[in-house]
Amino acid sequence: MFNLSSFVQKAQSFIDPTQALNISPSDRNPAKSTLFRHQFRLPDTQTPLQEITAELTISPPVIYSPNATQGEKDRDRDRGYHYVGKLHLSEGYLSFSTQPTSFLQNASTSTSSGFTGQTHGAGPGGNGFTLPLCAIRRVERLHSQNYQFALSITTWNGITTSLSESKAPQKLTIQLSGTRQACERFCDGLKRGLKSGVNDVQKLKRVVAECYSEYVLQGDTKKLDTPPDAGLGMIFKYPGDARKLRDRSKMRLWLEYLKDNGRNVTLIRQPTFHKLIRVGLPNRLRGEMWELTSGSLFLRLENPLQYSETLAKFEGRESLAIDEIEKDLNRSLPEYPGFQDSEGIERLRRVLTAYSWTNEDVGYCQAMNIVVAALLIYMSETQAFYVLATLCDRLLPGYYSTTMYGTLLDQRVFESLVEKTMPILWDHLVKYDVQLSVVSLPWFLSLYINSMPLVFAFRVLDVFFLEGPKVLFQVGLAILRINGEDLLDATDDGAFIQILKSYFSKLDESAHPKSEIPKMRAITRFQELMVVAFKEFSGITQSSISEQRMKHKDSVLNSIESFAKRTSIRNLGPDSKRLSVDELGSLYDRFYGILYEREQRSHMIQEETERKLKAMNIKAAEVVNGLAEMQSIEKGRVGMGPSPTMMDYDGFREFLAGVAKWAVTDSPTPPAKSMENHSYFGNTPKRRETLSPWGHGKPEPADHEFMHRLFRRWDVDMNSALNLQNVVTGIAHIKGKGDIMGSITYFFELYDDDGDGKVDREGILRISEALLFLSRRGLEGSLTPSQSVVGLSEYEAAFVGPAVGSEYGTTNERFLSSVSAFIRRCFEYADPDHSQNKAEPEKVENEKKEDADDMPDPNAFDIGDDSDGEDDLLDFSSGSPETAATSIISVPRPLASVADKPRERSVSKAQAEAANAALDPSKPLHITLPTFRMVVLADELLEQFFESSFPASFRISDTMVTTNNSSVPSPLTTFSNLGFKAPSVLSVGGGVGGTGAVVPPGKGLRGVLDNIVTEGMRVAAEVRNRMDEAQKEMENNAIQRPGDEEEEDDQNYDPRSAGGFGERRFASSEDRDLLEGADAEAMSVKSGHESAPKPNLLTPFPATPVTPGGSRSKNPSSATKEALFER
Amino acid sequence: MADSTPKPSSSVKLVLLGEAAVGKSSLVLRFVNNDFQENKEPTIGAAFLTQKCNLPTRTIKFEIWDTAGQERFASLAPMYYRNAQSALVVYDLTKPTSLIKAKHWVAELQRQASPGIVIALVGNKLDLTNEAGASNSLGDDAESDAADGEDVDGDARKVSTAEAQSYAEEEGLLFFETSAKLGTNVTEVFTAIANAIPETSLKGIRGPGAAAAPARTEDPSRVNLTGPRDSASKEGCAC
Repeated sequence: MFNLSSFVQKAQSFIDPTQALNISPSDRNPAKSTLFRHQFRLPDTQTPLQEITAELTISPPVIYSPNATQGEKDRDRDRGYHYVGKLHLSEGYLSFSTQPTSFLQNASTSTSSGFTGQTHGAGPGGNGFTLPLCAIRRVERLHSQNYQFALSITTWNGITTSLSESKAPQKLTIQLSGTRQACERFCDGLKRGLKSGVNDVQKLKRVVAECYSEYVLQGDTKKLDTPPDAGLGMIFKYPGDARKLRDRSKMRLWLEYLKDNGRNVTLIRQPTFHKLIRVGLPNRLRGEMWELTSGSLFLRLENPLQYSETLAKFEGRESLAIDEIEKDLNRSLPEYPGFQDSEGIERLRRVLTAYSWTNEDVGYCQAMNIVVAALLIYMSETQAFYVLATLCDRLLPGYYSTTMYGTLLDQRVFESLVEKTMPILWDHLVKYDVQLSVVSLPWFLSLYINSMPLVFAFRVLDVFFLEGPKVLFQVGLAILRINGEDLLDATDDGAFIQILKSYFSKLDESAHPKSEIPKMRAITRFQELMVVAFKEFSGITQSSISEQRMKHKDSVLNSIESFAKRTSIRNLGPDSKRLSVDELGSLYDRFYGILYEREQRSHMIQEETERKLKAMNIKAAEVVNGLAEMQSIEKGRVGMGPSPTMMDYDGFREFLAGVAKWAVTDSPTPPAKSMENHSYFGNTPKRRETLSPWGHGKPEPADHEFMHRLFRRWDVDMNSALNLQNVVTGIAHIKGKGDIMGSITYFFELYDDDGDGKVDREGILRISEALLFLSRRGLEGSLTPSQSVVGLSEYEAAFVGPAVGSEYGTTNERFLSSVSAFIRRCFEYADPDHSQNKAEPEKVENEKKEDADDMPDPNAFDIGDDSDGEDDLLDFSSGSPETAATSIISVPRPLASVADKPRERSVSKAQAEAANAALDPSKPLHITLPTFRMVVLADELLEQFFESSFPASFRISDTMVTTNNSSVPSPLTTFSNLGFKAPSVLSVGGGVGGTGAVVPPGKGLRGVLDNIVTEGMRVAAEVRNRMDEAQKEMENNAIQRPGDEEEEDDQNYDPRSAGGFGERRFASSEDRDLLEGADAEAMSVKSGHESAPKPNLLTPFPATPVTPGGSRSKNPSSATKEALFER
Repeated sequence: MADSTPKPSSSVKLVLLGEAAVGKSSLVLRFVNNDFQENKEPTIGAAFLTQKCNLPTRTIKFEIWDTAGQERFASLAPMYYRNAQSALVVYDLTKPTSLIKAKHWVAELQRQASPGIVIALVGNKLDLTNEAGASNSLGDDAESDAADGEDVDGDARKVSTAEAQSYAEEEGLLFFETSAKLGTNVTEVFTAIANAIPETSLKGIRGPGAAAAPARTEDPSRVNLTGPRDSASKEGCAC
């Protein structure tokens, strides 16, 4: 049964960032299906569906006679070899192993990795078989008195031989032991698998046709066929002296074995098999056996055309990997004649290229050329391609990745094993500062191929493919052990290397040349090496290596990452010089931290989605495969190789929220609100209580138009994503300029969309909106309140005094005033757009003048609460031009005077328009940079904002005091918090304060200020809204009467125009969620299992899962059929 | 170290860094065995070789760490340049990107390696330009003719001597242009490094900054463009 709690645990460990960064659940707690696949070397598509204890009996085929009586058959069975083990069924394979396996449903973590222990030379697969279901021809149930339940399996052994009738087909007998029900369930699963495997028989035939065994085992009559490609060795001779290698007798032994035990896919592993591998494979069978024991044969079987199709698909394409491959083609095993020839080089090029396309993350790594060259001596291109894939993905994980973390990690592991097994030698190495990995790294990376003479390296490979990566460690340790005495004399790297070099060159010599006993003399150094490796170091198992890997993983990754960071920061280019090294360091950390976390989160969310999907159509597969698989959980970590380097807009928002407090949203999505599918972004349905798109406990970023502009500005390559360079350059330009003019220019350019040096009416409003947005959490940097208070007090004293007490407050407040003044001044000094207004410059001039004459008094630009709910916030009533220049639009005043309201709200919009050309959309206008500069510099606060507070608002180095959502008094506080009567129309229809209810009310003075800011922002939005409206009216040529306005406003309030107002967004997204929630529900009803009428998302599984066994037991008749399956 | 002998001998650890296939291993092979292989196997991890260099006053035994050039091997490099007293940063003077990579290495070494490390910047494959082969027919390289029209006589050179040299001077590096194929300037590089290694660091004390001064005094005499030509005619004939 699905283990929900384990998933929740993982989810939690993920959410806790410190844990998630360091622990890969896949390592600590390998999923059972992964273990299963690794044991039988099966492709990733396979999951363990069923398993049962069974006894395998292999009767010598000579005994077989089709006319034997039942009694004789029983006797035959008794006579054969018996193996007790576990029989496993996966989607496409029937596997049997004598090695203890433990992906039982109730197995614990520790036992689930148990089988990776000692394999006594049999390899993790143990004795047994790994049979593709399509290779099974017939399954019979045997009637027997001795056995409860016995199956006889006939295979397609020798499928390519047309004359196979003359020979007895390969038969295996398996007795299942278990309850009758369990046996029947297993058989039923088998039957289903066999049915779906029928279509693959042709594929199987094609795949095994490339196996050399098919050729050598066919009758003499057919020897005229051209043999399948068994590597370049067939053309250029295999390395080594065939006679010395005793190739002939090895081949004879193998032929015998294969005759009795099946070949390639139908091969049964008996103890002799492992022994034959230990003594070295014969040249022509080597490739096939590597392919079989590594499991790449099954990969090929799964997708036999992948190699040729990949080559065809990418023909003529170029890549960095291909450039790198080209550099090395002529220098891969150059001493082998096949690679001095274009034939060998072409093959090498094709295999490496094809792989670089199928796994672009790895691409090409030096050493792969050597390994593939070695493979190509013994196998066809196609075979080599799949073996390479198996090597990179499974046997040598991370070895060839772009950071080579697997290589470095295994070096660390190797060192620790040396320390443990050879402490004296280790102390010596430490004492003389000899770095072991300098010697051993090439051993591992190129699988000893360029360290030992080829013939011996291939012997190591023979065992490596069967028994796995631990062999590399065992051989390495044995090399050091054998040379231990000499190595203790070496006091520097040079001597150390020299000793090993000369040892490798003498591997074919006698290990005991002075021995009296001829037999002892006959033992070569290589044989001695193998004995030491596999006897003395038999304790080195896959699990001890995994354990060590776990232990060292973090430090290795950290050192890779710090190297990457160093390199990356150093190469950031001249712009980065404007920032300090510390700042660059933290920028780097933040940038990649966010990319990493986002990757993790999306992975989690994806997992979750998949899990849900699975839950909906529950199958036997998931019942057994209990643990969530999180193999790629660490994907994205820099040290693990190719990680994302580009940050999209959402990532950018998250980044900004980390460095600037204004970038944190005002309206965090409410926490843990039932099962509501809240898709703030993206449409992935997710469970809110575990998975937030922003991570747990982190501030949720806002989404303001300003941020979008910043993003676009930084995205110099126009690919809708930023790399570190972009971010550093972007920040450097803001923070590093250090002069106010640069800062002002930067801001202006942000809003100069077409780069013509003009910002239009719309832009001015957006700028003011952005200014309010940026300042709504207070201003930072060297805003000198005292000074500014002094400077402004004369204008303000009248208003500020009673309403606001704190200086902090005044600054904020005054900033709002400044922004208001900014808007007005911008319009005041704006140039008419000549392109459109050429005809009537005078008129504009006049209007401007009129406008100036009509300039409102400082208090006229009213921002305030309208208890009547009217949105007519802008009031350009008449005023004196003198005050205009220094006017400060008072905010406190309306607040203070809010009681005297309703005021003369009667100033209609039409009047306002008439009074102010700025509001007349038919008169396009713009400001230029000098104007903008002038307007900014006219106001001390704005000046300070651009001089210090804006650049300072990006806080890179110091850990930002996280503006935790709950602790930030939200500016969304409605007026009701202050005792003012909240305009209900506004809070609902106007979209402001849509979340007012969920936000803790702001307190006291701070709340007042927040309100002011909020209101200010609303004003800006309203101004633009008004513009839109006016525009619309112009278009319609119909003037709406003020009476209709209220409604009109609500409708026309374009949510986009208030992009920065989270509440707006929130309100609408909430609606969307409702819809989506409904959708999801509808979906789940549709796809849910019938037995689960209520798809309650809290319990993603139907309450009563129907296991195949359960349903099957109701139908016992099917299990009693004698021939369960036949082709 | 035997300091009392008339001609003291000491070991110097030298590391070779640079982009893949610029000829690092070939330079070493030329220096150590006076040999050249057309298709040298790529170095996996690193290779280790030693060679003595006789100076008038002392003998320097170079312990040469020849590293793999491919980008992804870069993270292994710290393992090799650890405690190195000298470094040879190699670029291919027919490939401008390799000089960029070389600059990265120089920066890395200056920041991360032992203080006072003597760094030589080496532009290899001089044989592909026409200056190396002025008096030597081996230097003519027909294949590169078409590739490049900006230089005289179909020169494959893409990095000018002046550019690399001014960079080397800025950073206080020794600078050479070599040809491992022809042997041009190869021993000169190593001799210059041997001379630039300060006595203090030979005795095991690595005095920070001590290397800088001698390195610079070597500069004018070693970074002499007429030098290469002389030695090319001397050694080039051997090929």
